[in-house]
Amino acid sequence: MITKKLIDKIEGEACVYFDIKDRVVDFATIAFPNFRGIQEILKGKNALDALVITPRVCGICGHAHLMATVRAIEDAYKNGGYEIVLNQKIQKIREFTLIMETIQNHLKWIYLTIMPELAQLNKSTKILTPLKSAFGSSIAARAIATFAGQWPHSSYMLPGGITCDPTNIDALKAKSYVDELTSFFEKESLGIGIEEFLAFESCKDFKNMDSDISFIEEELIKAGMNKKGFSHDRFIVLGNHSYTNPSKINQTRIYCADAMCVEDIDSYSPNEKTYAKNAVYSGSYYEAGSLARQMSLNVPIVKNMHRRYKDSAYSRVMARIFELAYLLKESNSILDDIDISEASFNAPQHINAITATGIGVVEAPRGPLVHKVSLEKGVIKEYKIITPTQFNIGSSTKSDPTPAQKSMIGVSKEDALFIFRTFDVCSVCTTH
Amino acid sequence: MHSKQDKKPTLIWFQGLTCNGNTHSFFNLHNLENLLNKFEILYHPSLESTKNIDEITACIFTCDIFIFEGTYDPLMKRNDVLVSEILNYYAKDANYIIAAGTCASFGGMFKASAPERNSGLIFNEADHEGPIIKYKHKVINISGCPIHPEWLGYTLNMVLSKKELEVDKLHRPIELFSNLSHHGCTRNEYFEWKVDSDNFGEKEGCLYYKQGCRAPMTHASCNKILWNEVSSKTRVGTPCFGCTEADFPRQSLYSTKTNMSIPQDMPIGVPKRSYLTLAGIAKTFSIKRLEGKLIDYKKTH
Repeated sequence: MITKKLIDKIEGEACVYFDIKDRVVDFATIAFPNFRGIQEILKGKNALDALVITPRVCGICGHAHLMATVRAIEDAYKNGGYEIVLNQKIQKIREFTLIMETIQNHLKWIYLTIMPELAQLNKSTKILTPLKSAFGSSIAARAIATFAGQWPHSSYMLPGGITCDPTNIDALKAKSYVDELTSFFEKESLGIGIEEFLAFESCKDFKNMDSDISFIEEELIKAGMNKKGFSHDRFIVLGNHSYTNPSKINQTRIYCADAMCVEDIDSYSPNEKTYAKNAVYSGSYYEAGSLARQMSLNVPIVKNMHRRYKDSAYSRVMARIFELAYLLKESNSILDDIDISEASFNAPQHINAITATGIGVVEAPRGPLVHKVSLEKGVIKEYKIITPTQFNIGSSTKSDPTPAQKSMIGVSKEDALFIFRTFDVCSVCTTH
Repeated sequence: MHSKQDKKPTLIWFQGLTCNGNTHSFFNLHNLENLLNKFEILYHPSLESTKNIDEITACIFTCDIFIFEGTYDPLMKRNDVLVSEILNYYAKDANYIIAAGTCASFGGMFKASAPERNSGLIFNEADHEGPIIKYKHKVINISGCPIHPEWLGYTLNMVLSKKELEVDKLHRPIELFSNLSHHGCTRNEYFEWKVDSDNFGEKEGCLYYKQGCRAPMTHASCNKILWNEVSSKTRVGTPCFGCTEADFPRQSLYSTKTNMSIPQDMPIGVPKRSYLTLAGIAKTFSIKRLEGKLIDYKKTH
């Protein structure tokens, strides 16, 4: 019998239709309601207007959309014969604000989604502090606002640079926010110093902590999540950043990857109309996100985790927590290297001169975000957005399941509902 | 007998067609936890709530404060129930209805998803129409794309303290929306002397003349109550896009429409003739300090 479950407390809503046999999930399909039609809204607009419109695809990762748009337009410039070269300052400031957005996303997911759901699953009596994450995230948002004016929904990146012209006062202020956020994460979440945490090489090391993070780790084991939630053991990373290695990974073997091999295909949702398409890489489903990124970088503890527990729900959650610490450190070093005297913006050719197509690829918090734009004299003819949740949480047939579908097969419905959330579902992005 | 806890006003945060941006913006409020502790949260899409989505969409109890985020779409359903039914049900008994953000206030960004039918709660852009127009006296619009966390914090505190909250013609609190977003902009001196910004990415120059800045035409206190307590769009050289106004989003957002090189839209309330006179005089002066760099790093080396 098919049972429907509406899932909230994620970004937006999703409906999962479970086919339960012998008390375990035999198969599940997923539908995303509430279409907004951003791609249509963009048609006929000045290309630069996309820098204001696409961040509004998503309230939690709009900055990633901004960066994907600016990269797509800059690529169109290049393909149109006017290559844009960005100096180190521009690249680093863009990178810094993007990282801060990922950090606030991960923090909220840990405290607003994972901890409450895990506690409920295990009937834990631990007193939860979900709003702690809002406080921590607000520090990351301040760091973004220092350069980008505000978060969410900043539009400070433009083809050719950034709109701000910061002084060392700003750079140092941003650095002090990173310091504050790092102390917050050490004190409130890890219970140990971040350097000590980043030096962990084995899952056994998590036992040396007594904190929110070790609570999560213990509860994951208690719920058997190290033995559940397995997906295809195939990963994809496409966005090019200082903290990524674009690649496709089969188990532990790492290969080159190219975003041109990504396409979206119709999804299979027999019980309800869905507004989401599935994203495939060379025709196959791959898991995207923190675990993929950390695998591609050969991070020792994540390799250890994968060797022990493969691509289980445990690995998915713990790799993401580890990535948060990893990115905090990365963001600090990015700021150290900014040369404030470099130009913030080098005016490119007027956008009206551009008739070309472009692709912008970014690692958003949940994985690769792909924007494709087609311009005619600076006006948008076509705009296509493929989001990370389309990679992870598509809805396909039983013979060729998507990562999320595969991960839910064979477990109880309660476990499946938790496992579903380990992918950090972003319904709003998916129903752009 | 009621305990003290029972007396907290009840709050429901419900969503139409949205990006969740107002939710995440509000989460940046500095004193969020203390403020939220003063309410009983019956439902919020991201926060722990005392009721679940099935109970909320069943429409069986009431709330004191109903916050709506997102554009209203008359065909939209949540949990198989029409949003219009849910909205009308809670609006009837709520003491306050808060439209959180420009989408809920005027239609905003996602009005364009279905322009013929989508709108805000009591405004369709600037036209006074919407699904709960009969409860308009209870509706407070906090426009902004997204909502400014402190504006919503202020509104909820006003509600808690039972102070009278005066609103403008578009139902926005006058204490928040009487200022223009131009007020407090760090580039004001350039505006006064009509020195435009040559380009993006500079500390110098006003963005009103070429870069599309709508701060002089936009009711918002962004440069008075800073974003994330840190900055604002114009302070980082991004033009104001007028996101608190009923006509957001406009088009060609990074460039100023001009006639004979004079901006087509005048600062609110300023007659074109007055502007031209003043601008004409200001333009005849050449003020070196304003034409040069504010900070010249190379000179100090």
